[in-house]
Amino acid sequence: MSILNNSRFVWSRVSQLDVRHHVGEETATLIYRAVLIVLIALVLAFATAAFSAAPNLLNVLRQASLMFLLASGLTLVILSGGFDLSIAANLTLSACLAAGVMKTGGSPILAAATALSCSTLIGLLNGLAVTLLRLPPFLATYGMLWVVQGLAFHYMGGNEIYGFPTAFRTLGTGFLGGIPLPVYMMVFVLIGATIVTGGLNFGREIYAIGANSEVARLSGIPVRRRKIAVYTISGLMSGIAALVYLARVNAADSAMGEPLLLPVIAAILIGGTSLFGGAGSLLGTLSGCVILALVIDGMNLLNLNANWQPLVIGSVLLIAVLADVLGRGRKERIG
Amino acid sequence: MEASVERVSVVRTRRPVPSIVATSAVLAVAAMLGVPGFASSGNVTNIGLQVSILLIIAMPMTLVILSEGLDLSVGALLSLCAVVFAQTLGLGWGMALALGASVAVGMLTGLFNGALIAKLGLPPFVVTLGTLGIAHGIALVLTDGNAVVVGNPSVAQLYAWTILGIPFPVIFALLAYALTHLLLYHTRFGTYVFAIGGNRDALLLAGIKAKAFHIAIYVFGGLMVGLAALVLVGRMNSAEPASAIGMEFDAIAAVVLGGTSFERGEGWLFGTVMGVVTIGVLRNALNLLGIESSLQVVSVGILVLLVVVIDSVRKSRVNGAKA
Amino acid sequence: METTIPTAAVPLLELRKICKSFPGVRALTDVDLQLYSGEVHMLLGENGAGKSSLMKVLFGAYRADSGEFFSDGRPITIESPADAKRLGIAVIFQEFSLVPHLSIAQNIYLGREPRNRFGLVDHRKMHLDARAALEELGLAYDTHAYAADLGVAQQQMVEIAKALSHRARVLVMDEPTAAISDREAEALFHVVRKLRGSGVAIVYISHRMKEVFDLGDRVTVLRDGRLVQSMLATAATPDELIAMMVGRSVGTVYKRQYFGEPGKVALDVRQLTTATGVRGVDLQVRCGEIVGLSGLVGAGRTEVVRAVFGADPIQTGHVTVFGEAVTGGPHKVAAMGVGLIPENRKQEGLALKRSVHENLLTASLWKLFPRGWYQAEKARSATKALIDSLRIAPGDPSKSARVLSGGNQQKIVIGKWLSAGCRLFIFDEPTRGIDIGAKTEIFNLIENLIKDGAAVLLISSELAEIVHVCDRAYVMREGVVSGELPRESLSEQNILRLAMHGS
Repeated sequence: MSILNNSRFVWSRVSQLDVRHHVGEETATLIYRAVLIVLIALVLAFATAAFSAAPNLLNVLRQASLMFLLASGLTLVILSGGFDLSIAANLTLSACLAAGVMKTGGSPILAAATALSCSTLIGLLNGLAVTLLRLPPFLATYGMLWVVQGLAFHYMGGNEIYGFPTAFRTLGTGFLGGIPLPVYMMVFVLIGATIVTGGLNFGREIYAIGANSEVARLSGIPVRRRKIAVYTISGLMSGIAALVYLARVNAADSAMGEPLLLPVIAAILIGGTSLFGGAGSLLGTLSGCVILALVIDGMNLLNLNANWQPLVIGSVLLIAVLADVLGRGRKERIG
Repeated sequence: MEASVERVSVVRTRRPVPSIVATSAVLAVAAMLGVPGFASSGNVTNIGLQVSILLIIAMPMTLVILSEGLDLSVGALLSLCAVVFAQTLGLGWGMALALGASVAVGMLTGLFNGALIAKLGLPPFVVTLGTLGIAHGIALVLTDGNAVVVGNPSVAQLYAWTILGIPFPVIFALLAYALTHLLLYHTRFGTYVFAIGGNRDALLLAGIKAKAFHIAIYVFGGLMVGLAALVLVGRMNSAEPASAIGMEFDAIAAVVLGGTSFERGEGWLFGTVMGVVTIGVLRNALNLLGIESSLQVVSVGILVLLVVVIDSVRKSRVNGAKA
Repeated sequence: METTIPTAAVPLLELRKICKSFPGVRALTDVDLQLYSGEVHMLLGENGAGKSSLMKVLFGAYRADSGEFFSDGRPITIESPADAKRLGIAVIFQEFSLVPHLSIAQNIYLGREPRNRFGLVDHRKMHLDARAALEELGLAYDTHAYAADLGVAQQQMVEIAKALSHRARVLVMDEPTAAISDREAEALFHVVRKLRGSGVAIVYISHRMKEVFDLGDRVTVLRDGRLVQSMLATAATPDELIAMMVGRSVGTVYKRQYFGEPGKVALDVRQLTTATGVRGVDLQVRCGEIVGLSGLVGAGRTEVVRAVFGADPIQTGHVTVFGEAVTGGPHKVAAMGVGLIPENRKQEGLALKRSVHENLLTASLWKLFPRGWYQAEKARSATKALIDSLRIAPGDPSKSARVLSGGNQQKIVIGKWLSAGCRLFIFDEPTRGIDIGAKTEIFNLIENLIKDGAAVLLISSELAEIVHVCDRAYVMREGVVSGELPRESLSEQNILRLAMHGS
């Protein structure tokens, strides 16, 4: 009996520590993520000396930036209550096309234009499939995933393309003031995306649609138009990520995007964006990307067999989903 | 009184024949006429062999989709079960135990999926996406990324065995169809699958524990995947950790082609069989024409899109007429 | 007036002094009901009178707060659907309990499929039994037909067969003829009479006077959750029944103050027809007036306003708002200055997940920020002003909308449109599920709207509301406007008379 009373006492004390009572829900989420990042970093710093070396930390940032470029578009789509499974395949195809253009003598600018047009078109098609054909998002984008992947396989014919102009490669490998360029891009995208979600009517409408698309529609928001827009933006971001990734690894093959899909989804979920739409932020996604980048870096540094990595990522994804759903409770999901 | 009141009698409504019947017929005829070498008996056997595994896993996928779910982990799980099967054989444990191990792994994963989806209510596509990664990961860890070569010759022999000229894998697949048909149309479990997808409240009102049956659907899937591993290993005489990844796409495509819908518990098991055969025919024809596998995938995707659009147009026309 | 059946039998089922309350609402107070074997017992009352609550208590979906139950004279309890089932009480649901892609036989025997010695479903026996169950009702359906292919009337018949196969002794039917044709209704009546003949007690909720007198043996009228009277059908007249149903107390707490001259035409509807059941509706609303749209549930009122708002497509007819034709979806119509406060507040009016602040802004983003640049500060002060002027409680804008009371939630929905510069407000059952104090506030709010020159179209099933709040009212019945009542003739009796079928 007394044990029960004691633990209840302790629990009430602990719950008073819960930051949520004092700060807003969103800010609390970010604080928790920040704490998690620091914790993981500390653990890794302890575990291996190589972690704290500047080149490694910059590498982590670079990896996180790349993931964030890809994740930012998907975050917007998920915020609006949708989903896009095709982002990785989109990245692959766009990067391969860009590589092909450069290999046949085209300028990096032309390559970039090709990649971006292709990726945006794919996004647009996804948007149309979901709004006009009324296909469930995961299904439509799942089909798109395979079609795009198939096209990429066909285009590459099982080969690799490597060796791109230095000017292009700086996009992925360059530094500016000691900080990798992709990080600047990430910051740029973060600022841009935060302006969109927090400073534009469009962003507020996306949240409204994600929370309850019928209420949004009956409040005068042009839901279809907005949904097409977010899928198109997601496509565009996949293209941008494709270019940065291509520049970084200096090679293109038809499987390059595939290992990014699960970590990106896990990052978004860990970052606090709800699968059901209407809640989440890009800063949260960024923190999720940093966490995933740290986890992947840790696995590499600790010489974890590469074969273990999909297992770890898969488990992380499931844990993130569980945390998202259970944390919100049944009522809020249906909300 | 009786005479003045019209006896409202209903004749079984002739349901519109699903487009898959026409599609598969058209495709088969086109292939026979247009593709050299297609119509030979050797090639037909080839198609049968090629689709046997797909048929086995498309059977439970039909049930999953009928219950308004989805299972993306099937391909990775199949690879994992194949690895387990091959490795158990390698330990000298004999075919029966190896198959048992494979089935056990499959059913456990199915239980895991089912528990998260049915009991916790998590969205199926994300859960099975995670399970995909985990299954793939475990397969990689177990094999260290390499293929597991099978020393025991009985597996390959079984694969090559024919009864009355029909290869064992085809018979095995047909047995899988028979079993699933029995389950779906002749047991309470099957009835409840339709109800879970069509009107779950009806089950609850009738006092049935829908959750348990919902989980059972995924466990059944795991069972079939575990059995399919036998055929997969027989075909390649080895097991690779990523060999079957991507098969889930064909399985889902076959189910959708066959007329099973993602909502309302509407579907047709034999339609899935026809869908599997159609995909097999399509891929085989494209193969013979020298079109590579990646474009085959694109073709399958486009075919599914066409059939989905046609079916939905036909449906809206029927509904318009009704109203 | 005779109040009991002459043959002194013991009631099959008896309820005494049943009470049921919810926070803020007394659904049932001291209600008595006696059901005799072999009778069709009509249950009458306007919306909110307690019929649905009584039905749910009978069925075990609600547990009564107090009161007694007797079955064949023996005291019993009904605390769960399983209890009700055991007692042989069955309710005919229209949509809830058929699985679309299973056959009729499978649906009837769902959960208790007969099995053969292999443990497999015995299809032959199941279909035989199903056919027998249908034949008892005089039906000759093909038991292999899928439920999805049946019309509403036929689905209802299957539901009845299903209930009977559970050996139901009491059958509750809620407006069974609402969605079916006259011919199908005849078939239903035939079945009902057959059931009565075999000793089943049927509780029949209906709003059609003709049915009440054609089919009913006895009638019970409820009002405000209380029993008014139970009597033989032969002992009552339609006018007496209507008089018993009306007379709510809203008039004592709210008195409409302002009666100005109506201004220009805000909404003009001509011959509106939709696929959702509206069959040629004409109506008009001017600025400065509150026009009521009354009628019974299912009359088509919500369908009319949804079409006006662009939420459902218009088949034929014209809808003009402030002189402009309505041609598109809600986003176009809202931009013309129209706002819809939907019936289903929690799923269509506001997003429960989001905060008060966010909900208030949903419709007015482009009004406040025409260039598209959202400014959090300006938004915050705008919603704070709204919260203050509407007195939304609690006043914290960051609170989730879910925790607010029904009345305050409704204020949010109204406020959402206020800040959007709405000039035509369409209310669909605005005070449903709201306690009397909050109702008055809402009425005052609505009055202020028209004082400012807006136009209001108000749908309500509560007759007193229409009478005490509106300038004039249209009454709808089965998809058309059955009459228009100017202020002088605006009375509950008149509304009900126009609303009920064949009275």
